[in-house]
Amino acid sequence: MESSQHSVNLVLLKKLAIIALVMFGFAWALVPMYRVICEATGLNQIAVADAAPMQAGAAGAQIEMTFDSMVQAGLPWRVRPLTSHLKVKTGEFIRVDYEITNASDRRMVGQAVPRYLPAAAGEYVKKLDCFCFKQQSFEPGQTKRFPVVFVVDPKMPRDISTITLAYSIFEVPGQGGL
Amino acid sequence: MATVTDTQHAPHSHGKPSGLSRWLTATNHKDIGTLYLWFSFAMFLSGGVMALCIRAELFHPGLQFFQPELFNQFTTLHGLIMVFGAIMPAFTGLANWLLPLMIGAPDMAFARMNNWSFWLLPPAALLLLASFAVPGGAAAAGWTLYAPLSTQMGMGMDMTIFAIHIMGISSIMGSINIIVTILNLRAPGMTLMKMPMFAWATLITAYLIIAVMPVLAGAVTMVLTDRHFGTHFFNAAGGGDPILYQHVFWFFGHPEVYIMALPAFGIISHVIPTFARKPLFGYTSMVYATSSIGILSFMVWAHHMFATGMPATAQLFFMYATMLIAVPTGVKVFNWIATMWEGSMTFETPMLFAIGFIMLFTIGGLSGVTLSVAAVDIALHASYYVVAHFHYVLVAGALFSLFAAIYYWFPKMTGKMYNERLGKVHFWWSLIWFNVTFFPMHFLGLAGMPRRIPDYALQFTTFNEIASVGAFFFGLGQLIFLYNMLVSIRRGEPAPQKPWEGADTLEWQIPTPAPYHSFAEAPELEVAENGAIRAMKGGKHH
Repeated sequence: MESSQHSVNLVLLKKLAIIALVMFGFAWALVPMYRVICEATGLNQIAVADAAPMQAGAAGAQIEMTFDSMVQAGLPWRVRPLTSHLKVKTGEFIRVDYEITNASDRRMVGQAVPRYLPAAAGEYVKKLDCFCFKQQSFEPGQTKRFPVVFVVDPKMPRDISTITLAYSIFEVPGQGGL
Repeated sequence: MATVTDTQHAPHSHGKPSGLSRWLTATNHKDIGTLYLWFSFAMFLSGGVMALCIRAELFHPGLQFFQPELFNQFTTLHGLIMVFGAIMPAFTGLANWLLPLMIGAPDMAFARMNNWSFWLLPPAALLLLASFAVPGGAAAAGWTLYAPLSTQMGMGMDMTIFAIHIMGISSIMGSINIIVTILNLRAPGMTLMKMPMFAWATLITAYLIIAVMPVLAGAVTMVLTDRHFGTHFFNAAGGGDPILYQHVFWFFGHPEVYIMALPAFGIISHVIPTFARKPLFGYTSMVYATSSIGILSFMVWAHHMFATGMPATAQLFFMYATMLIAVPTGVKVFNWIATMWEGSMTFETPMLFAIGFIMLFTIGGLSGVTLSVAAVDIALHASYYVVAHFHYVLVAGALFSLFAAIYYWFPKMTGKMYNERLGKVHFWWSLIWFNVTFFPMHFLGLAGMPRRIPDYALQFTTFNEIASVGAFFFGLGQLIFLYNMLVSIRRGEPAPQKPWEGADTLEWQIPTPAPYHSFAEAPELEVAENGAIRAMKGGKHH
């Protein structure tokens, strides 16, 4: 092969290699892009306090709520809602308490993630205070009690009559002890 | 491949190295192509054995042979090996073998990089296979390696991640080689808009690979740092998001689907015109259809994620964008049918596989359009309907096109004819048992059977039994192919320079078997659409 041909080929090779490197960078750039899109559209913002709905205080339809909790297999948390069932009215300010125990012999930092059933109810449960808004740290064997304060938005469709609110507790790696 | 027919002596000519070093130090595009093809066939067999383990376990409800952990490893590695070990290297191997012959180039542009591209693959395959033997076993998160499963498993996952890195580097280098060869080394007269469809398809595929394999590499690297270096890209507790993994993965994953489909389209666009003895209908529209499929493939990724709770607006966008892909794909299917229309067709084995491809790929395409409807997909997501869909496009699509290609170019590669009767048996056997295996999976999915489970509810038994029987016979049939190849390479009838009456691309203008150094000097060509050669001057081989 002539050397001029070879140098032309090398130029194209370099350009294509740069495309590949840029695309590798693009994969990492998707991380902040995803966060920005989620923030801009308000999607997936579970750890932020909601504003109380306009009609809060005016009692509305009656709904049944169940409070639940989940711990991933292998994680030494004990989580217990102090109230497991409650009849509430939409627009009413509700407070329930959760008790979380670090059942291990080391310091741990946990993050709770809420989940709603039916999922469609999620956007109508307006949480004003919640332990899930930030990471919580626990001494070995420590038990802490946390409040959750929320209002069920009266705008919620009438066909939702029962809501389950369940928290999963995860360990934040690298934040606790060993 | 055994004899050098042309003895013209060029000053810098050198013969074939012999023995093992011929293959270890291979820089000849035909040798490297051959290596790729045998490697991918070995991977096809090992991935196939895993598939049969899966089907054996699913023959009856309850656990028969494997614990769920091992079953999950089989489904994961079956997918990874078939995608990255069998189909992609097979297409790269064909491109290596055929591109220089089709466009009149002496070899691939970067011969040593070509050698490296291939020899990266066996270590990656060994990493994948050896991961079964490490504590915790192989990766078991499904071939998509979704977080948070993939951020939790044992060291088998790390080996898988490294294997993906290596295979990614290999396919990126292979693609750079393909693009430079096509863009810079075409013989005079072989213009881009006259170039054979296979060259077009591999060119666009190579661009897709360069654009998305690095994204996959990024995604699995993030999994790796989440696993070992305390980052929280996908860890919800640390402020990350597992859904983000799905977005990054499918930004790679959907173009990947077309990386495995476009070269198949290219092959079919050679086989159908040859055996219909008519030029390809609508060549220009084929080129544009292939390009638009390539571009659209970047805009549809979230249709794999309809069940993640996306906003309805986003679901609608991805649903309509997905449906849009049916348009260029339909252009291609109708062009192939129009090519056959009023042609003088004969039905040699490559043509049978090509027609089987068109029929079954279209079924897979239609179930794909069904799945693209967001409302329907939420019911069918991760069910056996999806399994049926992608096996129609990957087995009856990519794999059948590869069989068509091997039978079609076998005479040019080896100088021998394959056994036509065994080829036809292989086709009808594969066609029948393929459908026995995968058609019932549509019903299973519609009835609600989830994918990736080792056990199932009793009402799914009958269809699973049918699918398992079909799978074992389908697997058995591939040994007919292996036997045909092995026997024909040694004792096949000598093949003429142009064994197919209707074949008119450049590779059929040179002696059979293709000389070891073909087009050492570029020929002067007069070319019609789809690479049909009207006249050729010069072009030396030795």
